[in-house]
Amino acid sequence: MDTFKGLVAILLTAVLVNNYVLRQFLGICPFLGVSKKLNQAVGMGVAVTFVMLLATAVTWPIQIFVLNNLGLEYMQTIVFILVIAALVQFVEIFLKKFIPALHKSLGVYLPLITTNCAVLGVTINNITDGFNFLESMVSSLGCGLGFMLAMVLFSGVRSRIDESDIPEHFKGLPATLIAASFVSLAFYGFEGVVDNLFA
Amino acid sequence: MKYIKSVIALTVICALVAVLLALTNSITKPLIEQNASAEANAALLIVHPDGGDFTQVDLSTYELPATVTEAYTASNGGYVIKLLTSGYGADMVLMCGIDANGVVTGATCLSSTETLGYEKTYGDSLTGKTVEDIDAVETISGATKTTAGYKNAVKDALNATIILGGGSVDIRSEAEILNDNLNEALPAGEGKFVSWFMVEALENVTAVYEAENGTGYVLVSGEEFIAIDKSGAVLTAVADDVKAVMEANAQLILNSSIEEIDITGYSDMPTHIKKAYKTASGNYVFDVEAKGFGINGDHYYNPSGKPIELKASATSDGKIIAVLTVAQYETDGIGSACADASFYTQFNDKTEADYGDIEAISGATITTNGYKTAVSKVFEAVKILEGVA
Amino acid sequence: MKKTNYWKILITGLLKENPVFVLILGTCPTLAMSNSVTSAVGMGLAATAVLICSNAVISLFRKFIPDAVRIPCYIVVIAGFVTLVEMFIHAYLPELYKSLGVYLALITVNCIILGRAEMFAGKNTVGKSILDGIGMGLGFTLAIFFMAVVREVIGAGTFAGIEIPFMIDHKIEFFVKAPGGLMVYGLLIAAVNVITKGKAIKKKEFNCAGCPSAGVCNGGCQANAVKEGE
Repeated sequence: MDTFKGLVAILLTAVLVNNYVLRQFLGICPFLGVSKKLNQAVGMGVAVTFVMLLATAVTWPIQIFVLNNLGLEYMQTIVFILVIAALVQFVEIFLKKFIPALHKSLGVYLPLITTNCAVLGVTINNITDGFNFLESMVSSLGCGLGFMLAMVLFSGVRSRIDESDIPEHFKGLPATLIAASFVSLAFYGFEGVVDNLFA
Repeated sequence: MKYIKSVIALTVICALVAVLLALTNSITKPLIEQNASAEANAALLIVHPDGGDFTQVDLSTYELPATVTEAYTASNGGYVIKLLTSGYGADMVLMCGIDANGVVTGATCLSSTETLGYEKTYGDSLTGKTVEDIDAVETISGATKTTAGYKNAVKDALNATIILGGGSVDIRSEAEILNDNLNEALPAGEGKFVSWFMVEALENVTAVYEAENGTGYVLVSGEEFIAIDKSGAVLTAVADDVKAVMEANAQLILNSSIEEIDITGYSDMPTHIKKAYKTASGNYVFDVEAKGFGINGDHYYNPSGKPIELKASATSDGKIIAVLTVAQYETDGIGSACADASFYTQFNDKTEADYGDIEAISGATITTNGYKTAVSKVFEAVKILEGVA
Repeated sequence: MKKTNYWKILITGLLKENPVFVLILGTCPTLAMSNSVTSAVGMGLAATAVLICSNAVISLFRKFIPDAVRIPCYIVVIAGFVTLVEMFIHAYLPELYKSLGVYLALITVNCIILGRAEMFAGKNTVGKSILDGIGMGLGFTLAIFFMAVVREVIGAGTFAGIEIPFMIDHKIEFFVKAPGGLMVYGLLIAAVNVITKGKAIKKKEFNCAGCPSAGVCNGGCQANAVKEGE
C-alpha cells in the first residue's frame, strides 16, 4: 500500500509539481516549436512519453548493473545519449516496417526527440534521485504525461494568440514566450498539493 | 564497405573519447571524493562542533538499538550517530553528537514530515544531557509523540555510544524485558504469554501471566518470576515459605471460575457497572465503563464517542484485587496512558479508605478522574451485591 | 584581409548571430540557469569550453567522419567533452557543480553545440571552427549573463549573491521563478525586435534553420506539420 502511495506521489509530482517543461525548462524547444495544433501536440507528447519509458527501461539497468559495477559512472552521459539515439532510430525503423500507420503519425517527431533534453534529463534524474526500477518507470511516465499535458494546454492558448491583435514587435516568439510564462505561473498553483495529499 | 567504414569511424571515436575520459577521471576522482568527504565531515560538525575528523564505524559487528542507522567516531573520542525513528506521522531522520564523556553535544532533525515543526527545535533541549538525566527532559505537550520519539532515539544513541565504546547496555524495550523474564521462568511457554486477569486475591503477587499453549502460569512477586505448571506445582526454585504461599496461589488460580450475576434487579446499581460476575471463592468481577475526555462539555465520551472499558475485581469485603484497561479511545500520547500497566496497577489492593492515594496522569487529568470515579463505584457495587448498603 | 575575416567570425557569434537572442538556440539552459548570475556565467563558460573543444575536434576529423554517422559521431564527441568539463567542475568547483545540477550533463543536447558542429565545424577549418566556437560560446554566455542580471537583480535583489541596497527590500520573486524566466526572455526578444526594427530575428517561429536535427529529418517534421495542420 505504501509503495503504491509512493508511486502515485512520484507520478503526480512529475506531472503537476515538477512539470518538466513549465518548471524545469526541459524540452522547451519542441514545446514552443510543435505545439501550434492540438494533433501535433498530442503526437509529439505520445512519442516523447513512449521514448522516455523505453529509454528508462534500457538506461536504468545499464547504469545499475553495468556502469556502477565497472566503476564507469563517468560514462553515463555518453552511454545514455547513444542509447537514446539508437533507440529512437530503432523505433523509427520498427514502426516504418511493421506499423506504417503509426509511423505516419508519430514517426516525424522521432528524430526531434534524440536531442530533446527532457529524455536525457529524465534518465539521468532517475539515477540521481536513487529511484528503483519501478519508481523510475513511473517517474518517466509522469514526465512524459506532464510534457504532453503542457503541450496540449499550450496548443489551446496558442490558437487564441493567433487570433488576437498583438503589438508588432511582440508578434511570433515573444508573444508565445509570454503566454508560456502565464501557463507556467498557473502550474505554480500545484505547489504543495502532492505533499499535502499524502501527508 | 561504406557501412564498415561508418562503424569503424564511430568505434574509433568512441574509443578515443573513452580513453580521454578515463584519464581525466583518474585525475579528478580523488579530488571529487575528497570534496565529498570534506562535505560529509562538515555536516557532522553541526552536531559535534569540536569533533575534528570523523570516521564511519562498521556497525555490522555490534548489536545496537534498532533506531541507529549510522555511526561515526570523532577524532576527539566522541561520536556522531544517525538515527531513524517514527514521529507522529512518518519517519524522522535524526543526527546526534555525543562527546567522549557521554554528553549530548547537539541533535538535529535532518528530515521529517511532522506537522507542528517541534522536531526542528527540540534537539536543543537535549543538548548537554547524559544517559542518566535524558529521561527527565520534558516532552512538548501537544506534540508528545514527536518529541518522545525524538528523546527516545537520542537515548538510543547514547546507549549506542556505550556499546561502541566496549560497554554493555540493556537495549531491550520494557515489553521485551518482560517477555524474556517470563520465558526464562517458564521455557515451556515458548515465549508466548498473555496477561491473566486476577480475579482472586493472591498473596504477594502483583501480576499473573498465562502461557498461550496452556503449559502453566508465571506469577510476578516483587522482582521475582515464579512459574507454576498445570497441576499447581511450583517449578521455580524458591524458599519453602514462599513456595507454600505460591502453591496456595496456584490452587486459587487453577480453581477459579466465574459466573455472571443478573444486576438488572438492583435499581440503585451505579450506571458505570455494566456487568457483574461472582467467582468460586466469593469475589466479584465487574465490567466497568469510565468517562474519558469528551467534546460535549460533559467529559463523558472522547471524540470517538466511546467510553473507556475496564475490568475490576474485588473481594467480598470491599478490597480491589486488580484493575485492567480493556479498551480505550483517548487522545494518543495523552489520555491513552490509562492503558499503561503503571497506571492501572495502582488500584491493586486499594480499599475505600486509601483510594485517594492514586496518582493522576499528568496532562490527562480528565481521563484519570473519569477512570478513578468509575473504579470507585466498585466499592458501592460490592456493598449492594453483598446486601450491606 | 584574412585577419578581418577571422575577426568577423568571432564577432558574428557574439552579436549579429547571437545564438540566444537572434538564432533562438539553447533555450533550455538559458531559461533554467539565468535565475542567478553565478550559475549563468558558470553555465555559459562550461558550454563555451565544450563548444570550442568539440568544434575543434569535429573540424579536425571532418574528412574522416563518414556522412552517414556524422550525427552520432558529433554526439559522442560533444558528450565526451561535456563529461570532461563536468568532471573538472565537480573536482574544482563543487559549489557550481551543485547549482548547475542536471543541466551540466544536458549541455550534451544543447542545440547550439550540435547546431554549430553541423552547420560550421563540419565544413570549415580548425582555426575558423575554434573562433566560431569562441564567438558563439561567448555570445551565449553574454546573453545568459544579461538575462541573469535582469532576473537576479529584480527577483532576488542581489548581484552574484551580493545584496543590492533598495532592491533587496523590493524584490519580486516572480522573476527568479520559472514563469519569470519565460517572461523576461519574451520581453528581451521583443526588445531586440524593437532595436533592430524587426530585422535581426529572421526566425519568427521555430523551424528547421536552427534545428540541429534538421540533418536527420530533412524538414520532414515541418512539411508534415503543415500538412497535418491543413
